[in-house]
Amino acid sequence: MSAAAQRLSGNPGHAAAVRILELRTVRKTYRTLRRDNIVALSPTSLAFEAGEFVSIVGPSGCGKTTLLNITSGLLRPSAGAILFRGSTVDGPTPEISMVFQRPVLLPWRKVIDNVLLPVEVLGLRPAQSFRERAAELLAMLGLTGFAETYPRELSGGMQQRVAIARALIYDSSVLLMDEPFASLDAMTREELNLELLRIWEVTGRTIVFVTHNIPEAVLLSDRVVVMTPRPGKVSAVIPVPLPRPRSLSLLGDPAFGCIVSEVRELLRVRSEVVARAGEA
Amino acid sequence: MRTGAVNALYATGTFVVVLLAWQVIVSALHLAAYFIPTPLEILAALVSERVVYAANLLITLWSTLLAFVIATAIAVILGALVSEVLFLRRTVYPLLIALQSMPRIALAPVIIVWFGFGISSKVVLGAFTAFFPIFLNTVHGIATTDRDHLALMRTLRANRWQVFCKVKLPGALPFLLAGANIAIIFAILAVIVGEFLGANRGMGYLIVNESNQMDMAGVFASIFLLSAAGLCFHYGLGFLRRWLLFWAASSEPDADGS
Repeated sequence: MSAAAQRLSGNPGHAAAVRILELRTVRKTYRTLRRDNIVALSPTSLAFEAGEFVSIVGPSGCGKTTLLNITSGLLRPSAGAILFRGSTVDGPTPEISMVFQRPVLLPWRKVIDNVLLPVEVLGLRPAQSFRERAAELLAMLGLTGFAETYPRELSGGMQQRVAIARALIYDSSVLLMDEPFASLDAMTREELNLELLRIWEVTGRTIVFVTHNIPEAVLLSDRVVVMTPRPGKVSAVIPVPLPRPRSLSLLGDPAFGCIVSEVRELLRVRSEVVARAGEA
Repeated sequence: MRTGAVNALYATGTFVVVLLAWQVIVSALHLAAYFIPTPLEILAALVSERVVYAANLLITLWSTLLAFVIATAIAVILGALVSEVLFLRRTVYPLLIALQSMPRIALAPVIIVWFGFGISSKVVLGAFTAFFPIFLNTVHGIATTDRDHLALMRTLRANRWQVFCKVKLPGALPFLLAGANIAIIFAILAVIVGEFLGANRGMGYLIVNESNQMDMAGVFASIFLLSAAGLCFHYGLGFLRRWLLFWAASSEPDADGS
């Protein structure tokens, strides 16, 4: 049973598996000042189905941000190709939106105008309906009453919510998230995880979510991609066949614990192997 | 707010004490008025010659303001062009950097020959002097644009103009205004030097005249007026800064300007 099919029970209305995004033997090397080639990402192939929630976990330096930046078109791969709905992507596209590690809000714009930035840049019309949509998104993210405030008046968690609203204001099919909740406290993080799940269920977007928090990855995802460093590569893809919709009560579920241990074990074993290889 | 009032009180108090001491010491030592006047003599000069002062101050302030506005306009446009156009960054930028190391005030006699005794030579000298701090700060501000902001705009496929107007220029504004604060002082200095060297009106011209007539009270009165004008410019820019940069965390030091 595929991950997407698994989710259908809790999530009616999603179409059957359609491959929306595909990485074909994508590779990235950097040249250092000493002219050595550093392999940031060894040849990697991954495919994402429409409406799927996939997390990428791994220790820092394992190339997960590189992978995400390549997927978004911000970074060119040294080799390989990215296909969106079967056609090659060679740069950023409005079909793929991005939430960064930091909120990256423009401090001189009100919250509502930050959310509407993509609408302005992409020239979407009519402006009034997007304004209403922005207000709805802010309400959905618990930011009612903050539309007319400036980012510096908000807490880190609230700023990140604004960034999520900004990524959702236009109809991209894929949402890439680069450790969006990394800098938040545990409680805010859990709250935002649940909100993200709700938004995902409502909007039916494909979400690729980078994190180094294993329980978070398992709680959210249909599949967890495990990456290991030096050189960065995908070492395993673990399906998460847990029922949806999910809530925090899942955290105490034995099945949930099993998957978390499995992922943790994979990360641990791989890093030991890498460490040993390094010593030899 | 209350701390502000208390600070203002201390500043005013210090000012009054200094003036009193000045008055007392100069009177007690019986120093000649053509050597150093007392504050009361300066006040008397200000009041009796108020029409002359008003007319000349207006000329100097007008020249300074014109110079500043012209300098700002050219500096921001050139700063933007040099930042955005590689060809100009390779050609115009090094030229301007070379010009910047020149002592610009030294050009005053040349500019007076070229532009005459009227205010245009002062405006040109003032603008030329005030140009550089704003230009350099604008270039620096644009160069230090937040890379994540640029990445965000790239994910939206924003065009160059959108990136410039929505991200680069607003982001460079704090730098630009810091440059403007220096530029306004440069402008007023240059205008006065221009008026020293060749003019028939303005505070610089007035100071030279008063000095030639050993009218020290007059000279001090002129200096006092120019200081007051400088202070007004400083606070005017501070106001502009708070109005334009309301979004930035307040970075104004507590004892600002007093």
